Amino acid sequence: MADMTDNELKIFINAVTHYFAQLTREPATVRAAYLANGEIPHFDYTGLITVSGRYRGCVYFSTSGDALRALLLEFREPDRRESNLLDAVGEIANTIAGNARRHFGRELEISAPVTIRGVPEQIKSAVRARPFAIQLDWSNHDAVMVVDLALEE
Amino acid sequence: MKLMIVDDSNIIRSRIARATLQSSLQRLQIVGLACNGNEAVNICVRKAPDLVTMDLTMPGMNGIECIEALLELAPRLRILVISALSDKATAIEALKRGAHGYLHKPFTDARLASALVELMEDLEADRG
Repeated sequence: MADMTDNELKIFINAVTHYFAQLTREPATVRAAYLANGEIPHFDYTGLITVSGRYRGCVYFSTSGDALRALLLEFREPDRRESNLLDAVGEIANTIAGNARRHFGRELEISAPVTIRGVPEQIKSAVRARPFAIQLDWSNHDAVMVVDLALEE
Repeated sequence: MKLMIVDDSNIIRSRIARATLQSSLQRLQIVGLACNGNEAVNICVRKAPDLVTMDLTMPGMNGIECIEALLELAPRLRILVISALSDKATAIEALKRGAHGYLHKPFTDARLASALVELMEDLEADRG
């Protein structure tokens, strides 16, 4: 399998920054982008998209409950219970992966989001050894987007 | 005019519902919220909506299949796809299968209102 290029990584960075710029009053800023070695970065809530078709891998977005409650407040969503926090993190992951198809085309087949609270066993089993991690700050909340994508040759 | 909202995300269904409170959309009355294609078909049979907002990536029956099923039941239905899938081929396919508009996620309330108003006007023109 061939790994992602820098330009392809930028597609995902643009998608996540566009999401927050479009829907909230505060843009998200990228604090770091790196190849994750060892520990898979994550927070309490994770939305995971599995990729298939011409590409293989996954994309996930992970952040804290506080960040998601603040986001739902921006949406004027009164119900900020657990189920909606999971819904929100799944929808972010779905939107980022879906927007990336503007570049990759429909050969980037994406699953409906799987949402995860807490212990990342499901994440670990979905991600290869060294995925790209993009650390973000939105409205003083930390988040991370992880992209593990390879072209089937 | 009767609106049905189809999306597997509760927060997106709620956002769309809240957006219809804008003055330009006051003529819309929400008659159903569906979280998948099968539910959408059932609501369509019972409530006969005029307009539908349709997600594409849903578990079970996907949005494209649902568009075809709904139009078979109600050929004059107006369908606005609201999806994160941003490739041209998917948008073209949705339009070919019968959707009347395509709005990308993430969307603003203003863009949603504008797209829905366009469909409402189109439907009114069709009705004469």
